[in-house]
Amino acid sequence: SASVSGVNRNAILVSHRQKGNPLLKHIRNVRWAFADVICDYLLGQSTSALYLSLRYHLLHPDYLYFRIRELQKNFKLRVVLCHIDVEDVVKPLLEVTKTALLHDCTLLCGWSLEECGRYLETIKVYENKSADLIQGQMDSDYKSRLNHALTAVRHVNKTDVVTLGSTFGSLSHIMDASMEDLARCPGIGERKVKRLYDTFHEPFKRVV
Amino acid sequence: MLKFYEQIIGDLLEDSSGGLVILSGGLGLSKLISYLLHLHDPSQGSLLILSASPSQKSSIPRNYQDTLNLETPISTSEITFDLPAPQRLSLYGSGGIFFITARILIVDLLTHRLPTTAVAGIILLNAHSLSDTSTEAFIVRILRSSNRSLYVRAFSDRPHAMVSGFAKAERTLKCLFLRKLHLWPRFQVHVSQDLERDPPEVVDIRVPMSPYMIGIQKAVIEVMDACLKEMRKTNKVDVEDLTVENGLFKSFDEIVRRQLDPIWHTLGKKTKQLVSDLKTLRKLLDYLARYDAVTYLKYLDSLRASESFRSVWIFSESSYKIFEYAKKRVYHFGRSDGGKSLVPSKTLSTKKRKLEKNKSEDDSSARANSGLVLEEVLEEPPKWKVLREILEEIQEEREKQVSSREELILEGETEYNGMVLVACKDERSCMQLEDCITKGTQKVMREEWDKYLLSKVELQSLPKSNKKKPKALKGFGVLDGVVPTIAGQTAEFSSVSKQENDALLAAATEIGKKAKKDIDAKDGVTCEGHKKGRRKGSNKKKSVIGRIDHESETCKQSEMLCPGLEDKKKYCDPAVAGHLLENAPQSEISDKGVLRKHGQGPENTKQLPPVHFFALESNQSILDILQPSAIIVYHPDIAFVREIEIYKAENPSKKLKVYFLFYEDSTEVRKFEASVLRENGAFESLIRQKSLMLIRVDQDAHLLEVNSSLEPQSTTAQNLITRKAGGKKEAEKEMQVIVDMREFMSSLPNVLHQKGMRIIPVTLEVGDYILSPLICVERKSIQDLFGSFSSGRLYHQVEMMSRYYRIPVLLIEFSQDKSFSFLSASDIGDDVSPNSIISKLSLLVLHFPRLRILWSRSLHATAEIFTTLKANQDEPDEARAIRVGVPSEEGIVENDVRAENFNTSAVEFLRRLPGVTDSNYRSIMEECKSLAELALLPVERLAEVMGGLKAAKTLRDFLDAKYPTLL
Repeated sequence: SASVSGVNRNAILVSHRQKGNPLLKHIRNVRWAFADVICDYLLGQSTSALYLSLRYHLLHPDYLYFRIRELQKNFKLRVVLCHIDVEDVVKPLLEVTKTALLHDCTLLCGWSLEECGRYLETIKVYENKSADLIQGQMDSDYKSRLNHALTAVRHVNKTDVVTLGSTFGSLSHIMDASMEDLARCPGIGERKVKRLYDTFHEPFKRVV
Repeated sequence: MLKFYEQIIGDLLEDSSGGLVILSGGLGLSKLISYLLHLHDPSQGSLLILSASPSQKSSIPRNYQDTLNLETPISTSEITFDLPAPQRLSLYGSGGIFFITARILIVDLLTHRLPTTAVAGIILLNAHSLSDTSTEAFIVRILRSSNRSLYVRAFSDRPHAMVSGFAKAERTLKCLFLRKLHLWPRFQVHVSQDLERDPPEVVDIRVPMSPYMIGIQKAVIEVMDACLKEMRKTNKVDVEDLTVENGLFKSFDEIVRRQLDPIWHTLGKKTKQLVSDLKTLRKLLDYLARYDAVTYLKYLDSLRASESFRSVWIFSESSYKIFEYAKKRVYHFGRSDGGKSLVPSKTLSTKKRKLEKNKSEDDSSARANSGLVLEEVLEEPPKWKVLREILEEIQEEREKQVSSREELILEGETEYNGMVLVACKDERSCMQLEDCITKGTQKVMREEWDKYLLSKVELQSLPKSNKKKPKALKGFGVLDGVVPTIAGQTAEFSSVSKQENDALLAAATEIGKKAKKDIDAKDGVTCEGHKKGRRKGSNKKKSVIGRIDHESETCKQSEMLCPGLEDKKKYCDPAVAGHLLENAPQSEISDKGVLRKHGQGPENTKQLPPVHFFALESNQSILDILQPSAIIVYHPDIAFVREIEIYKAENPSKKLKVYFLFYEDSTEVRKFEASVLRENGAFESLIRQKSLMLIRVDQDAHLLEVNSSLEPQSTTAQNLITRKAGGKKEAEKEMQVIVDMREFMSSLPNVLHQKGMRIIPVTLEVGDYILSPLICVERKSIQDLFGSFSSGRLYHQVEMMSRYYRIPVLLIEFSQDKSFSFLSASDIGDDVSPNSIISKLSLLVLHFPRLRILWSRSLHATAEIFTTLKANQDEPDEARAIRVGVPSEEGIVENDVRAENFNTSAVEFLRRLPGVTDSNYRSIMEECKSLAELALLPVERLAEVMGGLKAAKTLRDFLDAKYPTLL
């Protein structure tokens, strides 16, 4: 089967068990193929996923445990993809959560087959992606950076950023503005003025 | 003390366990509380005041002091995290009266720093914001369970907030273990008797709006109506609530949100946009009455620049009208030879010459640019004129009175105070109205106009270290450098035509030139001061900072207007003093303003009475301090009306005349009237609820139940055991959870405690909840989750947890009353997109394969999951948990509470600036005290601090970058 995985390196390998799962219809951005794999979906060299419908779990509460046990220690990342398809979720979800956690599985929940399918696709596509996306980098243009910074102050919105920007001309002027000047900006009320001013003028470290 | 206060207090004291008092807004809650504080005796223990708003924190002690008999030794103070623990402890024992935040109190209770017997009672303000999972309820539960004699007196002056949601009053009573609900609406017999015995003289003035204002109002309402119709189509919100009338109130958002929240995540973009558009539209209506024409236009411009691509309404027919009318109130744009122009006879050259001569024509002055004329209209808000007339009228009346001697003597006896109070909604209006009175209305409009123009033009960047004179340089930048291409580039994204832009830019240039002129030709400017009054400064002129020459006299003038004020000043606290005309910051403002020599308000000739401007937003109780003899309510507000009534009732001998200024047929009037109806409706519903309420008489038994849950063998724990069939071990020990101090903002600790767990509050560097030596949990509500993904904070937190704990856990907590799902089907899209939450979560999972994720439906589900997870684990070690992740070389003391010791929003702001990284932000904080200081550091210094020239340059450039123009 090594050759198979060689050919299908860029595809999700799907266990024969999953035949007939309507979820497969929603895997469209990545190729997939049936193969003899222990897990339901093989998403990478050491990434596996098990699919569980919560409704199925209610009928067969032990199923998940046995499936996890079959995986043994072969994978670094073991995802339990849980499809939330019942109304009363609290109890069954608690059981699934517990099983997954105690047996070293990462639980992901999807509320529709599309969503579940998207998780499988994404994990496959991002197999070798760096974490830049979630490390806080964002759009690098001036306005979005300014927005990003100023909206760190609570209740300051994008309109306020435009107002502040056009009134004071640059960020350093905004940071240096007096309370009165801030208060003169339309749309910036008493509380926002105080928040902004405190943010800029209160020391970083409060000395007791 | 007014009679009905006595009655309220009397009723409240009947039940020794306390009660919940709901009274109409503006009926003097702070006064009521301060009377209540007098009944406190230190021997009973301490009295703690919870959830006071900042304004209450200042007004209650002041009222308390005012009514204080000198021998009463107790004073009120505030307990904050700044106080070290031992000091807090001794304060608790002192039997004093303290303001305290729920977060500190709960922590001190849980750590047993505060013995429950040391507390005599609790006064809980703003009871409307309470729920059974909130920390205040948690506190009361703990205190009540071990101290039966304790009283809890809860108050709210927002009746309409007490009727939102199902049987809210009843639930509030239950979670505070109270039996009595006391309702004190304005229409209650005793209240109205007290207040109507000696009512103030009221003059109701309806000011007609200008045609354009009516046009704008009509258009906004049309758009609003259209949005509401759209909203109805979605079939997601109760149709009955969707009226324009409701749309005027802030609470409308609440109504809509409450209905939509459970399905919020499944809503399409369009519906969400509609909700936010309605909010914007409401603001537009509000600002129409509050802002002058130029400011209004400026706001609209900002709005358009920030929203244009998302909003539905901005492109509709009516909203075009909004923009058009708003513009027409400010300027008119057309061909100079065209018949449209109001001054068609003037030729181009004369206009130019006029400008060069530095004549500031008033309303009809025209500016020319390549055959096109920009005419300033600068419509004044109609209320301005009326305000002035009223002031003059008051003065005339006074003068008449003065002329008849007897009355003067009479007034002397009653400590006659000639103060006129003008109450407006916000600080901004205060400052502006004040300028109107001192400088004349036209001048104020012109200043706004100049500012508007200048803000349209790109500003030239400044030498970096120059702190003092940014404004001046800005002005010169405008002079030399208005490049038409700038307008051209940006014209595309705004709908304003290029020609119009050019004209505006040209006008701005003129202003700049004028500034130069003014500075060049600095000749004696006569200041038409008032006849009497002490002028401190001579004609000495500062050739100011401002882009424009400026006479400091204006501020002096203002000083003259209120000769009687200075004496009063010392009674005011700083916040109030800030409003006073002759105050220092005030003059600073006018320093920066753009002034002209001409147009020194021709109307200024008449004498005006001393005026004080007051912003309702600041929530100060100003009436008792200023004791005005006339009040002009510039922006009507129901709570303030009540305050006036109370003031008058308390001082029946004083003469008081109240003027109300309404715009005729405006939403302002509708809103005011609707707010009265709304409050009455709320009280009626509360009265109904009260008659049907089911309150347990056996509160003690109820308490016992609660109490037992604190014991190790709690009912819940026993239930758990039977459920688990044979888990005898747990019965022996009490489950412990270590909780980060900051987490007490959330309700989870409360719910965990209800479940019978012991909560140990500490400061954690890593994680929010430590369940066992292996399990560390980071809790994220849905909103937090999205936010902390994009800021990168979550990545960092998970990284830390993975480093220090075997089982790092991310808890994704959904809210009970909101939908249990991430995205609506339509949000999923066709492709794998990097912005999707799915992608981010997948990436997180890929990078941290050991991370476990908990999906919790609600607080209670979370508590259940925690219990399950802890079942076979050891108890967490407090001492170890505290040490984890704390950088020891920093010298941070273990017991410090980080959140309280740092200006968190400043730190967050700093970390979001380009060039600032995880590795250098600490040293920046070491080096500069505040962000304002950072803004001034030259790049060389920054390079030293940040450890690299590249990062320093990035930061410096960002700070100094010019903000792109709106045009």
